[in-house]
Amino acid sequence: ELVALSTRDQIRAIRELPMSFGEKKHIRSGFESQAVKDDKLPFQCHSADRVNHYTLQRVIKQNSTVQRLEVIGKFGTSVLSYFVFLKWLLMFNIFSFLINFGFITIPLLVYDPLPNIPPNVSFRGLEILTGVGYFNYTVMYYGGYSNETLVGQVDYNMQLAYFFTIAVYMVLCGIALIFSMASSFKTNHVLADPASESAWQLLCSWDFSVTNEKAVRQRKNNLCVQLKESLSEKAQRKRLTLSEKLGHFGVYLGSWLLSTCLILATDAANWSLLQEAKTLLVPFVVSLMNLVVPLFYSLFNKFEHYSSHRRLIYALVVRNVFLKVSILAVLCYYWMNVVAETFCWESMVGQALYRLVVVDFLFLMLGSFFGEFLSNVIGTRLLPRIGVPEFDVARNVLELIYAQTLAWLGIYFAPLLPAIQIVKFFILFYLKKVSLTQNCQPPQRTGRAAQMQTIFIALLFFPFFVGALSIVAYVSWSLTPSEHCGPFRGLNNSFSVVGVWIHHLEDIPGSQWAIWIYQNIIKSEIFYFIVTLIILMIIYVFWQVTQGRKELIVLLKQQIVNEGKDKSYLLDKLQNLQTSQPNKTNKLMNQKKV
Amino acid sequence: MGSSTSHLSKENVSEYQELTFLTKQEILLAYKRFMELYEDKKNPPDPRVSRVSLDKIVKLPELQSNPFRERICHVFSTSELKDGSLSFEDFLDLLSAFSDSATLEIKSHYAFRIFDFDDDGTLDRNDLEKLVNRLTGETDDTRLTKDEMGQLISNILEESDIDKDGTVNLSEFQHVISRSPDFVSSFKIVL
Repeated sequence: ELVALSTRDQIRAIRELPMSFGEKKHIRSGFESQAVKDDKLPFQCHSADRVNHYTLQRVIKQNSTVQRLEVIGKFGTSVLSYFVFLKWLLMFNIFSFLINFGFITIPLLVYDPLPNIPPNVSFRGLEILTGVGYFNYTVMYYGGYSNETLVGQVDYNMQLAYFFTIAVYMVLCGIALIFSMASSFKTNHVLADPASESAWQLLCSWDFSVTNEKAVRQRKNNLCVQLKESLSEKAQRKRLTLSEKLGHFGVYLGSWLLSTCLILATDAANWSLLQEAKTLLVPFVVSLMNLVVPLFYSLFNKFEHYSSHRRLIYALVVRNVFLKVSILAVLCYYWMNVVAETFCWESMVGQALYRLVVVDFLFLMLGSFFGEFLSNVIGTRLLPRIGVPEFDVARNVLELIYAQTLAWLGIYFAPLLPAIQIVKFFILFYLKKVSLTQNCQPPQRTGRAAQMQTIFIALLFFPFFVGALSIVAYVSWSLTPSEHCGPFRGLNNSFSVVGVWIHHLEDIPGSQWAIWIYQNIIKSEIFYFIVTLIILMIIYVFWQVTQGRKELIVLLKQQIVNEGKDKSYLLDKLQNLQTSQPNKTNKLMNQKKV
Repeated sequence: MGSSTSHLSKENVSEYQELTFLTKQEILLAYKRFMELYEDKKNPPDPRVSRVSLDKIVKLPELQSNPFRERICHVFSTSELKDGSLSFEDFLDLLSAFSDSATLEIKSHYAFRIFDFDDDGTLDRNDLEKLVNRLTGETDDTRLTKDEMGQLISNILEESDIDKDGTVNLSEFQHVISRSPDFVSSFKIVL
C-alpha cells in the first residue's frame, strides 16, 4: 500500500516502520527507483516543500528542547509541566497587554499625550508599591481614560473601544481555555483508565530521561514503595474494622472543620481590615494568609490517613482552592458593594488590585526564599533528618492560578496591569528555575503528571476564570460607572454603550441587519433558552452513545477471551489427532492451514 | 576516504534526517559523540561499518544510570554476533526511537522488545519478574518478597492479558500503553 502514497507520505510512512536503518534504506531505494522512472518533476517539488515543512517543525521543536533538557534530566516531567504552564500563562498576559495597549492606550496617547496631573502631585518612588498618587492620573487606571469620540484622521470612539477590547479578550481567553481543557482531557482521561493506580501505569511511567545516578536510585525506591502500597491497598480494603473506619472518618471531619474555620477566620480578618481602609495592610495580610494557611493544610495531612496518595493531593488542592476563592470573594464583595459608591471607584479598585499583584509577587519571592532556600539549609546542615525540600508542584501551580486571576479581574479597572504581570511571571520563571536546581529534590511520587495537568487547566478555567469573567460582567451590567472619570461616565451601566451605538447605526443605511441581530437575538431571552435546550439535547444523545459503547467494549473483551479458548481447544484437538493417526497428519495439517 | 570519515557528507545527513525522527543538529551532535567513543581519535574508522562495543556505549552519561542500558543496546544492535555492539546507524535508530517526535507505535514497539528479556516475542512471568526487579532496585530492602511479586504479576496479567493465555503479546502491550498518557513523555533520551 505504500506505492499509492505520494513521495512525502512514503518517506513518512517508511520512517514510522519499526525496523533498523539498513532495512528502511532498502525499502526506500526500492521505491525511489520506481519514482525516478515515472516522474522526475513532482519528486523535486515534493522534496523542496517537504524539506521546508519538516525543517520548520523541527526548528520550533529544537529551541524548546534545549531549555527543557536541564529540567528533565534531573527532575522529570511533572516539574516540567509547571514551567510549561507558567509560559502558557505568560502568553495570555502578553496578548492582553498588546491588545489593551494597542487599542485603548495608544489612541489616547496620540490624541492627548500629556495627562492632566494636578500641580502638587509628583512622582515619588513609593508609587510603585502603592499605585496611588502619580499613577492615579495616568493611563494606568480606568480613570485616566476619556469618554469622548477622539477626532483625528479617523473618528475613534473610546467608549466602544474600551468595552469591546475587554469583552473580546475575555471571550478569546475563555475559548482558548475551553479548547486546551478539552484536548488535555481527551488525551489524558478518556484514553487513559482513570480508576487504576495499577502496576502497569507505574511501570510504564519509568522516566528514561533521568540521568542522575542518585535520582535514579531514589526513583527506584519510590517505585518500590508505591508498588507495595498499591498491593497492600488492594488487600487492605477488606481488612479495616469498623472502629478504624470511624476513627479515620472522625479525623477527616476534624481536619475539614478546622480548615473551614481557618478560611472563615481569614475572611473575617480581611473584612475588618477592609473597613478600616489601610492601603498596604490589606494586600499584606491577604498574601500572608495565602502563604501560611496552606502550610497548616500540609500539616493536617500528616495526621490524616488517606487510602491513596492521589486522594491526599486532591484534598489539599480542594482546600487551597476554597481558601483562595473565599479570599477573592470577600474582596470582590467589598469592592462591589462598599467601594462602588465612592468617587471614581473603578480607579480605586484598580489600585487595590495593583497593590495585591505587587505584594503577591513580593511574597512569592519571599516564599521561594524561605520555603526552599532556608528549608534546604536547615534540611542539610542543621536537621539532616528532614532532608532536602521537595518541589511542590501543586502548591506552586495554584499560586500561579491565583496570580492570573488577579490579573483577569484587574483588566477592566487597570488596562495596563498585564504589563506588571508579564514582568512578574518573567522574573518568577528564572527565580524558580534557579531555586529548583539549587535547593530542591525531585518529587517523590512518579507519574500522574498528565492527569494533574488536566486538573490544573480545569481549575484555571473553573472557578477562577469563570469567577473573574462573572465579576467583570456584573460590573459592566449592573453597576453604575462613576460620574466624573473614566470612559463610561454619564451612562447607566457600561453595557448601554452598545445600545447607544446601535441607536446611532439606525441612521446609517444598509446596517439594518446589525440592528435586527441586536434586538432580536442578543436582547431576547427566548434565543438563549432555545440554544440551551438544543445543547442539553445534544449532550444527552452523546451520553447515551457513550453508554452504548461501554457495553460494546465489555462484550468485545468477552469475545476475545472466548476466541482464545477456541484457539487452545482447536490446538488440543489437532494434537490429539496427530498422536492417534500419524499417517494422515500431513494431509490434515495442510487442510488446517488453509 | 579520509574526508568522508572526518565529517558526514550532506547526502548522508539528509538521508538520516528523512528516515529517522532526528533533526540535523541532533544528527550532528550524535555523530560527534559517537566518534568520541573510538579509541583512535586521530584516525577514526568509518562509523557506518565498524561497531562500538557494548561496554563503551553503556558508559555514555545518558545511559549510565539507566536500568535497561544493556537491553537497549541488544535491541538496537544489528550485529550478526549478537553482542550488543552498535554502528552509527544503530545509534541513530536508538536516538530516533527515544526522541521527542517518534510516534507512540515506534516507542511502544521498542519498549516491548526492551522488556522482553528472553527475546521470545511475548512477556511471560519471568520477563515481568525481571522487569519489576530492574525497576525496584537490587538491594535487599527494596526488593519485593516472593508473595508480593507473585501477587503483583498476577495483577499485571489480569489487567493486560486480554486473551488470557498467561503472556502479554505486542498488541496487548500496545493497548495498555495507549491508556497510559505519561508513557510518551517519559520514554525519552536526549543527548
